[in-house]
Amino acid sequence: MCGINGIFAFHAAATLPTETELLATREHMRARGPDGAGVWWSEDRRIGFGHRRLSIIDLSERANQPMVSENGRFIVVFNGEIYNYPGLRAELERDGVKFRTTSDTEALLHLYAHDGEEMVHKLRGMFAFAILDQEKRGLFLARDPYGIKPLYTANDGWTFRFASQVKALLAGGQVSRDPEPAGVVGFHLFGNVPEPFTLYREIRALPAGHTQWVDEAGPREPKRFANLAAVFADGASHPAPANELPERLRAAALDSVRAHLLADVEVGVFLSAGIDSGALLGLMRDAGQEKIRAITLGFDEFAGTAEDEVPLAAEVARHYGAEHIIRRVGEREFKEDIPAIFEAMDQPSIDGVNTWFVSKAAREAGIKVALSGLGGDELLAGYPSFRDIPHWRRCYGTFASVPFLGRVTRTLAQALMPSLARRQPKALGMLEYADSWAGTYLLRRGLFLPHELPALLGSEMAHEGMRRLKFAHTISAQLAPDPGSDLTRVSVLESSNYMRNQLLRDADWAGMAHSLEIRVPLVDWKLTKTLAPSLATLVSGAGKAALGVTPSVPLPGTVRTRTKTGFAVPTGDWMTHATGSAHPSTKGQASREWSKLVLKGMITPPMVCVE
Amino acid sequence: MPKILALVTDAFGGRGGIAQYNRDLLTALATTGSKVVIVPRHAPDVERPPVGIGQRPARFGRLAYSLSAIVEALRMKPEIVFCGHLYMAPLAWFAATLTGAKLVMQTHGIEAWHRPSRLRRWACEQAAMILSVSRYTRARVLDWAAIPPERAVVIPNTVADCFTPGDAAALHHEWALEGKKVLLTVGRMSASERYKGQDRVIEALPELITAGQDVVYVIAGEGDDRPRLEQLALEVGVSDRVRFVGALPLETLIEAYRMADLFVMPSTGEGFGIAFLEAMACGTPALGLDAAGARDALCDGKLGQAEVKQEFRSTLARMISTAGQDSQKLSGAVREHFGRERFASAVRSAMLRPVEV
Repeated sequence: MCGINGIFAFHAAATLPTETELLATREHMRARGPDGAGVWWSEDRRIGFGHRRLSIIDLSERANQPMVSENGRFIVVFNGEIYNYPGLRAELERDGVKFRTTSDTEALLHLYAHDGEEMVHKLRGMFAFAILDQEKRGLFLARDPYGIKPLYTANDGWTFRFASQVKALLAGGQVSRDPEPAGVVGFHLFGNVPEPFTLYREIRALPAGHTQWVDEAGPREPKRFANLAAVFADGASHPAPANELPERLRAAALDSVRAHLLADVEVGVFLSAGIDSGALLGLMRDAGQEKIRAITLGFDEFAGTAEDEVPLAAEVARHYGAEHIIRRVGEREFKEDIPAIFEAMDQPSIDGVNTWFVSKAAREAGIKVALSGLGGDELLAGYPSFRDIPHWRRCYGTFASVPFLGRVTRTLAQALMPSLARRQPKALGMLEYADSWAGTYLLRRGLFLPHELPALLGSEMAHEGMRRLKFAHTISAQLAPDPGSDLTRVSVLESSNYMRNQLLRDADWAGMAHSLEIRVPLVDWKLTKTLAPSLATLVSGAGKAALGVTPSVPLPGTVRTRTKTGFAVPTGDWMTHATGSAHPSTKGQASREWSKLVLKGMITPPMVCVE
Repeated sequence: MPKILALVTDAFGGRGGIAQYNRDLLTALATTGSKVVIVPRHAPDVERPPVGIGQRPARFGRLAYSLSAIVEALRMKPEIVFCGHLYMAPLAWFAATLTGAKLVMQTHGIEAWHRPSRLRRWACEQAAMILSVSRYTRARVLDWAAIPPERAVVIPNTVADCFTPGDAAALHHEWALEGKKVLLTVGRMSASERYKGQDRVIEALPELITAGQDVVYVIAGEGDDRPRLEQLALEVGVSDRVRFVGALPLETLIEAYRMADLFVMPSTGEGFGIAFLEAMACGTPALGLDAAGARDALCDGKLGQAEVKQEFRSTLARMISTAGQDSQKLSGAVREHFGRERFASAVRSAMLRPVEV
């Protein structure tokens, strides 16, 4: 895992990029790669690459980046890991390719030379990279199917720039800070900034599962190469019997964990009292890893109470013979870390605090790579949303499709029961939004609802942001072709929105701030493709139950039967205290207050009007 | 190469920067084999388009123009409808939709800096590509148009081959400016716009004269703001140092550029600022503000000086007192960045994109 950046002055009139800018962007990402740094310039100085390295595979200096192909034609900067690189290497060597290093970065160079842009279909892993083809005078960018690794671009019409972080692009000093209303509105709707938008009009995310080509005529529109809905639709076209799920999951999850252990440094694991992380630990053991260190976050407030996950996590660690690191965190440390959290947070997010502390703990323990159970709930229908969203659509969808009914009901409720309307805005929204997947998803995951935005942001910003965001259109595109079942539809929605824009992004900035690579074996394209026929017939609850018995020594019964809490944490209370507001009555209200503090901490007015 | 129907305000036989840009762009396309048909609204002068370009008679009235455009679209069945002005976007969209063509919009300057009507904005958002003459105009378009940024492409103005360094002694003599330091601005004087900055230069003259500069400020161009500027010159006591020479024929304009010691246009509203390019192509150093599209014409300070408002007077004083640049070198650099070849190549690759998709 690393930090990459580049500048391409593609237009003939463009001023030559400066080393100062390239380095300012690169050095903003110092924490992403403390083990090495490199720079490469084209002969005419119109194209420059920067790289910050966190050494995980092939620790030698030969594997430093930017890496140039032997004939000098291709140059790559790469952030991520290619887990199937040994197989790719063997395949390329059979075709006569000679490798100079044992790094996965070099495999990218050879694969691009061999397969061109089709190479992305052969990659298994998390990746964001740029390859310059000097002969074609063009730049090829790609980002993994789930969007585990970030890649941001900026184009002013003359010069194209890219980097692993939004703030790094801004640090270069040449990218406009003009606000993007869609990003501002998106943050208020979801508590994260939905890609491809950022808070800044000129900066965009290269969407997950997309490639992009840039040459002297400028950047082309990103091209999609991976479609989650299509994978599920394909699975639904030849569904597997429900009783095959456990065996299929066992084989596929073990294969994924084994692939994710590829490293020349120690790989640890984040351990909660949940099924996902516990199963990963068991599978690490099955994959043959002998020494395993597992890190659990414990909260001072919960010590000795039923909410404390530490005892159960300790049981799991003992169960699999792992060395257990327990890191206690209290509100005081949270308060002390708030400035650093906002500094590291690349785009505003209402979450990520837990990942910050568990990453900090890993770093303190000297661990450079850790597996996380992130993604298990999205893949195996672990969230309440898998039940709620289809249910709400069925119950309220018909009413919501009656023109004006929802709006009139809401207006009446606001007039007659203002206190209820304030406390339960989503309940009032049922008759207004539940007529589509987009609207119902918004009800489930939304921070604020669209009708609340004008009061918060001003009507101009709210209206323009909604118009540019095109949320309903985006959701429709995500669900095409039809994944085939309610559970897989929600899986697509959760994976393409909450997981991509919130969880994975938080894992990136919070992990990278501590120079820690977080790997997510349950967010794996091959795993998803293998499971797709079984997911087509999945029934609620069966997925997580099957995951609990995937290790050859199943998880303890106490863990498998425990109600899901994830990393149950008191951070909601801490956030509330930090905002200085009265104790909110709901978790949703606490998140709303926190979101305002996050925005204040991250950006300067007058971009948005935070009351 | 694709068949292109161009709906433009004016092109061949037209006057001003937009007509020039349209001529340059459509000629670049025709030279690569595209069949181009132009439907203009105005064509006050007689000018024959080059081979490969057909231009229909101008139709000034809205209805007549719209009918003419639609008939031409149906007859021609173009692959691309090029819309030369934002005001025509809905009509161009209709013509494109009717014939299954891709819509390419052109934006120039202030007409595209503020959000247009809903209908025009919507039509623009249907375009396969929006071309802008500068980064600034592109950025302003992206403020109001919800389109993927890759569809917004910058193709800056180019400069005609006739603008070259050369001898201007005759004009020096004719205008009795021998021995004087000559400042020159070429631009419209519009009372409703007033962004070209001639007043800013007039106000700076007393300081230059006090510093010992024997300076004369030549203002070329026409417009209804001229009386105000004349009055201003009188008020600051420099009316004998300011010459209003009106609109100049091309040959005289070129000589005027060559004769000037400094081309100065502290404009805040340039879509691009073609006059900067023309002056520098004639070998004359240029000074403008670091604002809007002028940044592009001055190439971020690489070709000419793009100064912030606060520093304008001091930079003007410094530039007028320093020795002249190597005019051939400056002219060559302008062509290297904005020459015909560069322009034609950018136009071709941009216009091929919509039909590649």
